[in-house]
Amino acid sequence: MSTQTWAELSTGAFTVAFFAYLFGMLAAFHFLAFRRKTVWAVSVAATGLGLAAHLLSIVGRGVAAERIPLGNMYEYSLLLSFLVVLAYLVFVEGLARVRTVGGFVLGFAVITMAVAVLFLYVGPAPLIPALNSYWRQVHVSSMIVSSSLLALGGVLTVLYLVKERRERRLPPGSPPIMGGAVSLDDAPPHFEGGADEPPAAVSPARRGWLPPSSTLDRLAYRMIAFGFPIWTFGIITGAIWAESAWGRYWGWDPKETWSFITWVVFAGYLHARATSGWKGRRAAIVALVGFASLLVTYYAVNLWIVGLHSYAT
Amino acid sequence: MRTALVLLLLLALAAVAGSLVPQVGVADARIAATFRDHPLRARIFDQLGLFDVYGSWWFTMIYSLLLVSLVACLVPRARAFVRNLRTRPALARELDAMRHYAELAVTDPPEQALGRARTLLRRRLFRVSRPNGARALAADKGLGREGGSLLFHVAFLVLLVGIVWGRGTGFSGQAVIVEGQTWTETHANYDGTVREGRFFGEDHSGVRVHVDDFRATYRASGQPSDFVTHATLLDAEGRELDRVAIRVNHPAEAEGVKFYQFGYGWAPVIRVEQDGEPIFDGPVVCQQDGSPEGLSQLQIPWNCVVKLPSLQPQVGIRLELWPDRRGLLALLETGEAMPMLVEYAPVMTWEAFEGDLRAELVQSAGVLDTAAMRPLDTGVLGAGETVDLGRGLTISFPDLRQYTVLTVSRDRGLWIVLAAAILILLGLLPALYTSRRKLWVTAEADGAGTLLKVGGFALQRRSQFEDEFSRLVRDLRRVPEERVGS
Ligand code: HEM
Repeated sequence: MSTQTWAELSTGAFTVAFFAYLFGMLAAFHFLAFRRKTVWAVSVAATGLGLAAHLLSIVGRGVAAERIPLGNMYEYSLLLSFLVVLAYLVFVEGLARVRTVGGFVLGFAVITMAVAVLFLYVGPAPLIPALNSYWRQVHVSSMIVSSSLLALGGVLTVLYLVKERRERRLPPGSPPIMGGAVSLDDAPPHFEGGADEPPAAVSPARRGWLPPSSTLDRLAYRMIAFGFPIWTFGIITGAIWAESAWGRYWGWDPKETWSFITWVVFAGYLHARATSGWKGRRAAIVALVGFASLLVTYYAVNLWIVGLHSYAT
Repeated sequence: MRTALVLLLLLALAAVAGSLVPQVGVADARIAATFRDHPLRARIFDQLGLFDVYGSWWFTMIYSLLLVSLVACLVPRARAFVRNLRTRPALARELDAMRHYAELAVTDPPEQALGRARTLLRRRLFRVSRPNGARALAADKGLGREGGSLLFHVAFLVLLVGIVWGRGTGFSGQAVIVEGQTWTETHANYDGTVREGRFFGEDHSGVRVHVDDFRATYRASGQPSDFVTHATLLDAEGRELDRVAIRVNHPAEAEGVKFYQFGYGWAPVIRVEQDGEPIFDGPVVCQQDGSPEGLSQLQIPWNCVVKLPSLQPQVGIRLELWPDRRGLLALLETGEAMPMLVEYAPVMTWEAFEGDLRAELVQSAGVLDTAAMRPLDTGVLGAGETVDLGRGLTISFPDLRQYTVLTVSRDRGLWIVLAAAILILLGLLPALYTSRRKLWVTAEADGAGTLLKVGGFALQRRSQFEDEFSRLVRDLRRVPEERVGS
């Protein structure tokens, strides 16, 4: 097939993935409200289909551009949204068996993809020499992998804050608002809390639409604790690349600056989790600041603040 | 820990400011624009050091205080950790009050059962101690969490020190070298300013770079695909050290000084003669100052200046170089700019002036100040041609060369920073993913066999410990066959 055909295949598969996620999102919200198991199954199936099409879109893009498809913001967003959905399926649906947050994660993916086609799209093309480096591939892919984990942690943190607020407002022992989270009781033991994680001591009677806040908190922590070292690794490899490309490993260019800020804020979150009196809501707010900083690092720097990295828009 | 975290947060806030306000050396043009359009705001920003956040006294103060507070909180932690490493796990009472507790009757006698428990725990990397005479074991595991965390924090400290020391003792600047020329690494030879660190002892290396040639290659679309400088590196005495190809992402190194491909441009060789006597002969470095909207650098001509201060009155010549003649022709015929990727019958337009060069005001070689000059003549000059300037002057254009721009820098802290960064990662993993566990075993004679009591807890990741604990108990129950009844 010609590169032209591959490029068309890539955009076609993108469209399929986008609408599959959109459909999966609607189904997931329907499930959240009405708890029909078949609707949940439909939602997961649509997500799976979306992922397959998404992967095809990424591969097609790579073949069309004749390189690894990590050259510009459109391609970053393509991979980021893919990994967020994949991490969600593996960790949240698979390992933790939490089934009620899919709509929010898919919503995040759908928005990311919409922004990508509307504002960031560029045709497949080869890279300029500065971007043509082995270290850059390692750097960009680890940044995207960790971004997806941190972003998933961020979505879960938002849900945690919503749920935690609701739980605080309920008088003890009041009846559930709606249904009750499905399958939380058979969550595998390694997602139970430790000293660095709050106890899962919320009575089933107080569960609302979403999983208990302790589950959301623990999941969010796991995602962030997973993503943080990868982010660290990404910054280090980025510095190694910058050293070979520009003769300095750190230049306070806006992208570098913001990745540092994000790193510091998430380090603050990890500290807060380990400090008594800062667990729960306060730590979650720090994580939320980190999430916001991640979005700035990812989008705002490329779109509004200029720097050496800006040729990657 | 509070103080350090607050300082870290302040560092982040300073970085936010630094990313929003244009910074010296990164966005000088935008700083100048701020001074022009908002003089008051610019002056306030300037006074606060906001145009040079990372070099400002308060930024230096924040990270110095961070260093101090990190040391202050790491020393006691390290001491406690070493103490912890040295002391053997101690016995505990009331095992049945522990979070995890099990009793099991086994068939081998107490000494053997305890020996078995010890081997089992050792094999699982617990530290095990058995105080003299007691029929009990104390064990613990997971010092890696605190160890890793300490390693992380110490490595972060080392990283900061490495950065400050490396920058402080190093330098960086840019070298402009025309093909065929040799450039020597000393303070005076840099193009523009050279950044020299606070503790820099003027020990420039004297290394020389002879540029054999520079080559830029492009794809058919006009997108660059490769820039390479072929050069010979020589030491201060002129002995050859190495022959290198310097590319983007592939710097060369000699005596600790690194050379990075940064930019390039055209340098026509110009010869000016007065009544047959050469008064100027050599390559002239041409520049481009930003391309107009919608055009790439490749589509516009290059500007250069020849100054002849020895003449009376002085003469200055402004040149506009088209490395590919077809670029100029296309513009004249169709009004459309064409990218000039290769040298092809190069041509220049020239404008000569006479009067006062005002050399005391205009230091830059690439700028001709014509305020005190009047036009002499203008014309076109192709490669290999000679034309008359008037006043008995001729100008010729025998050759077109390229020049390369290299970033030259030395940072002796590089290896410290890299090692520290790796240690940060290595420390982070156990600090985040391991947990501290404590376990005790007592043995009491129970008929011919033994009653083992096992108690313990984990400080982190408690539910995983639940699994681990039950597996341990299961394995303790399993008495090897040959021992039964012995
Ligand atoms: C005086 C300064 C500091 C003190 C006393 C301190 C203390 C601690 C402590 C006690 C932990 C362990 C938490 C636990 O394992 O339960 C920890 C973890 C951590 N610290 Fe610091 N810290 C300091 C500065 C910093 C700095 C400057 C950074 C850099 C960004 C940092 C990043 C981290 C990270 C990422 C963790 C997570 C690892 C973990 O959870 O064990 N810390 N810190």
